[in-house]
Amino acid sequence: MAIQLLNGVVYGGLLYLLAVGLVLIFGLREVVNFAHGALFMLGSYVGYTLAASGQWWLGLLVSVVFMAAVGCVLDALVFRSLRKHDHIVTVLITFGLLLILETVVTVTWGKAYLSYPVPKLLAGTVEIAGSPFPIYRLFIIAVSLLVAAGLAAWLRFTRMGLYVRAASTNAHVTSIQGIDVDRLSLVVVGLGTALAGLSGVVAGPLLTLSPTMGNYILIDSFIVVVIGGLGSFGGAFIAALLIGQIHNLGAIYLPWAATMLPFLLMIGILIWRPTGFAGSRT
Amino acid sequence: MSLLSFHDVHALYGQARILNGLSFDIGAGERVALVGRNGVGKTTVVNTLCGVTRIERGHVAIRGKAMRDLQRYTAAQNGISVVLQGRGIITNLTVEENLLLGAATGRRGPWSLASVKELFPILEERKASLGLALSGGQQQMLAIGRALMANPDLLILDEPSEGLAPVIVDELAELLVRLGNDGMGILLIEQSVGLIRRVAERFYVLSKGAVAASGPLADIGAEEFQQHIAI
Repeated sequence: MAIQLLNGVVYGGLLYLLAVGLVLIFGLREVVNFAHGALFMLGSYVGYTLAASGQWWLGLLVSVVFMAAVGCVLDALVFRSLRKHDHIVTVLITFGLLLILETVVTVTWGKAYLSYPVPKLLAGTVEIAGSPFPIYRLFIIAVSLLVAAGLAAWLRFTRMGLYVRAASTNAHVTSIQGIDVDRLSLVVVGLGTALAGLSGVVAGPLLTLSPTMGNYILIDSFIVVVIGGLGSFGGAFIAALLIGQIHNLGAIYLPWAATMLPFLLMIGILIWRPTGFAGSRT
Repeated sequence: MSLLSFHDVHALYGQARILNGLSFDIGAGERVALVGRNGVGKTTVVNTLCGVTRIERGHVAIRGKAMRDLQRYTAAQNGISVVLQGRGIITNLTVEENLLLGAATGRRGPWSLASVKELFPILEERKASLGLALSGGQQQMLAIGRALMANPDLLILDEPSEGLAPVIVDELAELLVRLGNDGMGILLIEQSVGLIRRVAERFYVLSKGAVAASGPLADIGAEEFQQHIAI
């Protein structure tokens, strides 16, 4: 049981890394980014290119930096102008981005499924509660916790974190105080996209690489964002851990209903609390 | 030199023209009221200054310099703080965090977290409370305190007496006069004749997006002033 719970934490950690990027981008830009799963996928492929030649850690670094740059470009060229449009336009544009990114990856890396190597440092298992458990999965948990703690500290204790929290609630009032919210968004969207790259690389060895690999996890990430509360970082963390457990335990104990369970939970929570765990927006 | 001036400003909100050749100016340390009925364009003045409303013709100048690309942050970065109608408190930030937000421009001056809390002791008592937990009067103190944290040369207040008890409005009037006497310019966008007469030295009456009347408040009787507002 302890192993199953840990596996749930692993999936929850991955969901958090992806969902928190969605939260960051939605908070400042009010953009529901359907391309986020494709960014996760692109980050994974970028990291894979170096990891396949034995440079796993360099691949991680390059992917994060590259995806941060992609995020900055997307914010400046796409998300900034989407702010003035209806949500349906946002959905269509970001869905179009998803298709473009999938095509770019297909043309560059091909359609074939690829196996992502585990770094040598993190290969092998440790014994937990009498069962072997992959060290790499513990690494995923550690990365997720580090990112969660780092983000929480950045948002809580730094000036920029204060501005991000303020702008996520009311961008207009925040900018009236003299803060250039567009410049702030550039940093935040860059960070959110970098986290998609990070989660893509970290998730790589657990998944099979394919141009559509981001679609399934994106749906779970959206559920995390909605359950946690739109724009809430803490809510996303709790929701990610919850969905991770439901996903994992559901697959073992209720396999016939496993894919439905996150949706059922989301419906139940939205009936009980339309703003999610910690959100202020419906 | 004027601290803030509008020169023949025509401004659009969507396709609707709200300002029709509005011209006015405020010098350093002046206390000026902008008055008029609902819908004449008073709040559009703030929105235009903050780049929300698009300028079709004319221009806004800060310290004599025409501002070609007004953004929401432009006024604050140029020493003009705005207390928005409805106060604009960030509800999920604490009182202290709301105040710190006001210091974002980094302008130096007499106002700091300590001096604002000295002015409004209730903000020290409630520093850890969320903005949404404050009463209307406390929110107004917070909004003004946050604006002061930017150490502005000009403080613009849009309908600050709205929803406040008369005793709080009296305190507000005293405060604004004091700030003005200390050299801060005050632009009061207001409908309460009592507050205007206690605070402002000059007035502009807006009608249909332009100035319909203006002059020193000392030269005008209460009844005549009321008539101007009722144009």
